[in-house]
Amino acid sequence: MQIDWLAIAPEIVVAVTILGVLAADLVLPRPLKYWTATLAVVGLTLAVVPLILMAASSVETRSLFEGSYVVDDFALVLKGLFLIAGYLVVLMSVSYIESDRYYQGEYYLLLLSSVLGSLVIASARDLIVLFIGVELTTGPLFMLAGWRKGDIRSNEASLKFFILGVLSTAILLWGMAMLYGVSGEVRFDQIRSALADPSPAAQPLVGLAILFVLVGFAFKVSAVPFHFWAPDTYEGAPTPVTAYLSVSSKAAGFVALFVTVYVALRDRVDIWGPGLWALAALSMTIGNLAALRQSNIVRLLAYSSIAQAGFMLVPFAAASVAGEQLAEGLAATVVYLVIYALMNLGAFAVVIQGARRTGTGDIDGWAGLGRIDPRLGVLAAVFFFSLAGIPPLAGWFAKFVMFRAAIAAGSAAATSLAVIAAINAVIALYYYARVAKVVWFDEAPAGAEPATEPPAASLALTLGIAAVATVVVGVFPAVFAVFGEATRVLLASG
Amino acid sequence: MVEDGELGALGADSYTRRGHPDAQVRMSAYFQDYVTVGVFIALGAVLVAVMLGIAAVLRPNNPTRTKQLTYECGVDPVGAGWSQTYVRYYVFGLLFVVFDVEAVFVFPWAVAAERLGLFGVVAITIFMLTLIEGLAYAIKKGVLRWE
Amino acid sequence: MILPQFLILAAALFSLGVYGLLVRRNAVMVLLAVELMLAAVNINLVAFEAALRTSQAVGQVFAIFVITVAAAEVGIGLAIVLMIFRNRQSANVDEFDLMKW
Repeated sequence: MQIDWLAIAPEIVVAVTILGVLAADLVLPRPLKYWTATLAVVGLTLAVVPLILMAASSVETRSLFEGSYVVDDFALVLKGLFLIAGYLVVLMSVSYIESDRYYQGEYYLLLLSSVLGSLVIASARDLIVLFIGVELTTGPLFMLAGWRKGDIRSNEASLKFFILGVLSTAILLWGMAMLYGVSGEVRFDQIRSALADPSPAAQPLVGLAILFVLVGFAFKVSAVPFHFWAPDTYEGAPTPVTAYLSVSSKAAGFVALFVTVYVALRDRVDIWGPGLWALAALSMTIGNLAALRQSNIVRLLAYSSIAQAGFMLVPFAAASVAGEQLAEGLAATVVYLVIYALMNLGAFAVVIQGARRTGTGDIDGWAGLGRIDPRLGVLAAVFFFSLAGIPPLAGWFAKFVMFRAAIAAGSAAATSLAVIAAINAVIALYYYARVAKVVWFDEAPAGAEPATEPPAASLALTLGIAAVATVVVGVFPAVFAVFGEATRVLLASG
Repeated sequence: MVEDGELGALGADSYTRRGHPDAQVRMSAYFQDYVTVGVFIALGAVLVAVMLGIAAVLRPNNPTRTKQLTYECGVDPVGAGWSQTYVRYYVFGLLFVVFDVEAVFVFPWAVAAERLGLFGVVAITIFMLTLIEGLAYAIKKGVLRWE
Repeated sequence: MILPQFLILAAALFSLGVYGLLVRRNAVMVLLAVELMLAAVNINLVAFEAALRTSQAVGQVFAIFVITVAAAEVGIGLAIVLMIFRNRQSANVDEFDLMKW
């Protein structure tokens, strides 16, 4: 059997790291358990090396297992994103987990398993592989959401996430089984050619299969109207896990959705295009309106991430209702996804540090934080304004790419989606700016003293990386557009 | 009067008249398997009914409280019929199910072991070692200790 | 093949599972409902496989993976239910309303 080992090297490295973390947790005595975190960081860093080698090599597409597993530039960009996001979340978690009284080894084990799952999703071009990837991504997260075992809120977060997670899995699987039934194949390219010319009798079944798949993935990315689990789970789960949920797991769900509809079902864009349009419009509007009323910072970010998911979908949905320039739409969506991941991780790192400083998750409790801890105040302003899309921060470029692609798509439905997105961008500005206003312009509670102790080194590193990335991408978007172009060109050929 | 040909059409072979002959033969064979099952079920039901019926007619009917107790291998039954299981059984059940199901992956390998050669052996060994590491972890955590 | 009968059976099982998931209060019953739904998917896969007779028996392979994942998922679910039971002495899903939906 001929296997291109370099192509699956990132997955192998992460898998070996998982086993290593488990073994380390098994043999290390209690005071040395922090080595598991170090191992996880080292493993994730090593896994980036083969990605760079592949990006530098002249081979553009590596196809394994008869085309079930494909590593092209689209996969490379997203694998890079998943590894970096995993890296930042591990850094964020170190000080958080150390301050808890629970064991650590399992935490990194579960987090790495989830990262491994998302790496698989990026390359999956086969229903079975995709299903395994999706389950490997979400399964560990059910447990991570309930990490604080003694906390009833964490328990509840875990249970709600689990019940809706398995419901979505079942719906997704039902759709996949139907797809297999109508096409007789599980590989995406074969499904596509089988569905190109289905018998009239199979038509309703194809529609039903696509509907089920769409609903299943909509649950996973918490798009409205399948979002009810998200705010509660986000609020109850430990904050680093929430950051991971709102970034990596959401991105993985999106990637799985895009790969399925774009590679396997591209010829049936007439069925899923309007579905994506509705999901995008509803997610933006309802997510934003709900975010306006939130008083808890994590719940605010939960609804904001629902709304951002809507924005993310806009370019691709606009292109698919217009029925053309699908590749451009997808590229714009991927650019938005990557930028969102960086700035949202930064926002969550701010939330962790801010909650530690003020001792509360209420937005009003953060009054005057900018004077107590100016550096944290600046970072809060950077990330929240970036999420709002204000130049010269990265979020601005994401919004720009989104609107450009949506308008380029041309049709009336696409333009109306762009208009809805514009209105929502204005609404979103209000609640993001409110956080900055509370932090900088409200009076600090009496007796609050300027902070002296610095944040934990690992958390400071997270904040630094995310902040630099947010500013650099915003000021020099050309650096970043290269990735988007790579995605577009290679997906178009594939 | 019906002709011979039409009599034949009423029999089991009627399916061969329409559609793809091969598929239809397979289908009638499929139903014949179920006929066997049906006959066995009917025979079983008749057998039980006859034996219990004969017993009911012949035996004297004189129920007492002791006679109507649930039979539990000759031991006096204790407590109600519905009893709660100790919650720890769940953990053992879970571990069992996980390992039981993993065996599903070993069987297909065993069937194709010769064809896959050394590569297959290495792959399945890694798979088993991964599982064993998980088991070792469970043991270390004291999940399998029963006190 | 008698494909429609199998598909109807699977659809009925799946609907039963969805109903159980949404209506049942006991968390363990909710887990059973999940199993029911995944079993329905397996019936679908194997029925399609038998009807299509694809060369590599992909439908059955898919079903094997679904079975494994279902076992893992129920493992996670039971662990969560046990954890909650320790804190609340109850496995009634309706009582988990600390946070508004």
